[in-house]
Amino acid sequence: MKLSKIVLLSLTLFALLSINVFAQETAEEIMKKSHMAYYYAGNDGVANVSMRIIDKKGKERIREFVMLRLDVEDGGDQKYYTYFKKPSDVSRLTFMVHKSAKGNDKRWIYVPAIDLVKQISADDKNSSFVGSDFSYEDVSGRHWSEDTHRLLYDSTWNDKAVWVIESTPKEKYKGFTRKVSYIDKETYLPYKELYFGKKDKLVKVMTSEEIKEVDGIITITHRTMKDVKKNRVTHVIFEDIDYNTGIKDEIFTERYLMNPPMEFIK
Amino acid sequence: MKRIVVLTLLLFIVSISASQVNAELNLDGFLQGLYGGRIDENNPTASEFTASETRMQLRAQHWGDDGQFFGRLDFTYDGAGSTSQYEWELREGYFKFRPGSKFDIKVGRQILTWGTGDLIFINDVFAKDYQSFFIGRDDQYLKAPQNALRVEYYSPVGALAMVWSPDFEPNRLPTGEKLSFYNPMVGDIIGGEDLPPVPEPEKKFENSEIAARLTGSVSGFRTALYFYKGFYKNPVGFDPEMGEMGSPVYPKLNVYGGSLRGQIVGGILWMEGGYFDSRQDTDGDNPYIPNSIVKGLIGFEKQVADNLTANLQWQADYMLDHGIYQTQMEGAEFIRDEVYHLLTTRWTKLLNSELVNLSLFGFYSPTDEDFYGRFSVSYSYTDEVNITLGGNIFDGKYKSTDFGQFQLNDNVYLKLTYGF
Repeated sequence: MKLSKIVLLSLTLFALLSINVFAQETAEEIMKKSHMAYYYAGNDGVANVSMRIIDKKGKERIREFVMLRLDVEDGGDQKYYTYFKKPSDVSRLTFMVHKSAKGNDKRWIYVPAIDLVKQISADDKNSSFVGSDFSYEDVSGRHWSEDTHRLLYDSTWNDKAVWVIESTPKEKYKGFTRKVSYIDKETYLPYKELYFGKKDKLVKVMTSEEIKEVDGIITITHRTMKDVKKNRVTHVIFEDIDYNTGIKDEIFTERYLMNPPMEFIK
Repeated sequence: MKRIVVLTLLLFIVSISASQVNAELNLDGFLQGLYGGRIDENNPTASEFTASETRMQLRAQHWGDDGQFFGRLDFTYDGAGSTSQYEWELREGYFKFRPGSKFDIKVGRQILTWGTGDLIFINDVFAKDYQSFFIGRDDQYLKAPQNALRVEYYSPVGALAMVWSPDFEPNRLPTGEKLSFYNPMVGDIIGGEDLPPVPEPEKKFENSEIAARLTGSVSGFRTALYFYKGFYKNPVGFDPEMGEMGSPVYPKLNVYGGSLRGQIVGGILWMEGGYFDSRQDTDGDNPYIPNSIVKGLIGFEKQVADNLTANLQWQADYMLDHGIYQTQMEGAEFIRDEVYHLLTTRWTKLLNSELVNLSLFGFYSPTDEDFYGRFSVSYSYTDEVNITLGGNIFDGKYKSTDFGQFQLNDNVYLKLTYGF
């Protein structure tokens, strides 16, 4: 009896311990999972995206485009294709990025009015995406391995349990000096990201405004980025989202840059 | 021209009626006012204005199940000339479809561009509109439309594009009305006169233009081979037997070339070369036809600071049989060197969240001793309204060089655009 009690006790202890060990994911593991949930949902994705850029005077600018994404490798290389619908001066313009997790990204633009394909310099991932408050890297994701992550504390956000994690760039980075993310413990999606710049001043705030389940995948369908200094905010709304559509790799070539894939854009 | 319009409209109607459920029609365009004036005096042009025009562009795109129709139609009221006039032009009107997975076909009036140079064209022998380029019209007007059939074939190793233009389409050059230019027959910069039109090659099958491009990737670089058979796009030849006093003509031309473009040290590098085979003057001994030329260019572009991109290009042209040319040109005001050099640079700065665009482009030839600079400041007031202020500056030691001939045409312009 005694022996079996001891066995039971030690088994229970062991089980508890292992649960505890399991529960104590490192900040790095959390951010990796978050990155995957945020930027690598499904094998590919298609969405109609609208961006509303609202300046401090309330003046609004709108960018509408179709965005196609293909994951070449989960957590690694990706390809993006963008077809602009609005405003009128950029309508039908297409844009393509081959995102490299390790090396340099490659970017191309096609201007239909002059039938011009141009490869553009992709050195600065922190530059603004189409004049919005989102940078290229905010759109396609900064790889988790480029930052050191530290769990600050556990908290709640709108009654949901979250981890609050601080990320610091391993190498000097223009985008931020540190970033604090509120990561949902269930879905690993970020509810909020605070970006700090020089002198530890808050420069940008990302907020997930709406989260929905699409094709069984929990997705942020509406997010905002606020530029604190400029007092400007950009809303990004994803509509008609489709995952795992089987987009072929060949879509992300010069051929389709010049001849947009109608089946995805209509 | 009329036939093409009717044909395009017919195609449009057919494509609309042929597709039923999954069809969509998009309409948009812009309204634009462009006003420019010369800042040079003593210009022989007819008008003080380099531009005074109101333009409406309408674009219609129709997607059916089997293809796409696209039309771009411009209506303009041009008040800069000696007589104001209404004009319209179908800038694009094509049907695009995909017969099988390996082919793309585009037929109709279209804009064609290829090659790697930034405003320098070697293997791109498609029609250009330098008149528009020099007076501040939008970049899209640098390209003149051509009636063409474009067939592209794709394979895993590369792609082959063939463009057949049944009718020769020349470049659009300053006519003397808004911009003056050098006339070799007069031996001076002229303007304001009604010049007899340059006769175009006879419209027959063997005079149609053919352009081809073969592209592929070699270790991360985009490489291409090009071929063109047709005519010089500028009237650079002279036929002494035509008319009473002879006439400028478009001599026959073949171009063979290649190019390369890719990413290197955080920027984009490009190189291009071509052999201009002057088919009516293969030995260089015809004084009325340009000699054959070997052209090459190298360029590099990089983002040099936040929202500031810069590039540099160097072009070098080697004239064949230069000795014969020199003898022929004896006594002329300007004789081109055996090797012509051209340096260009472009600087683009975006400000205020990309709402303000500052642009500078400079051409300078140390051998021709001439210069052409373009600048513009553009502000996107709203998504719809854009205001642009710009200018074009020309200079040259001689009156007959590429840019030197335009030295009396320095101009500034204001452009207002409303997109819808």
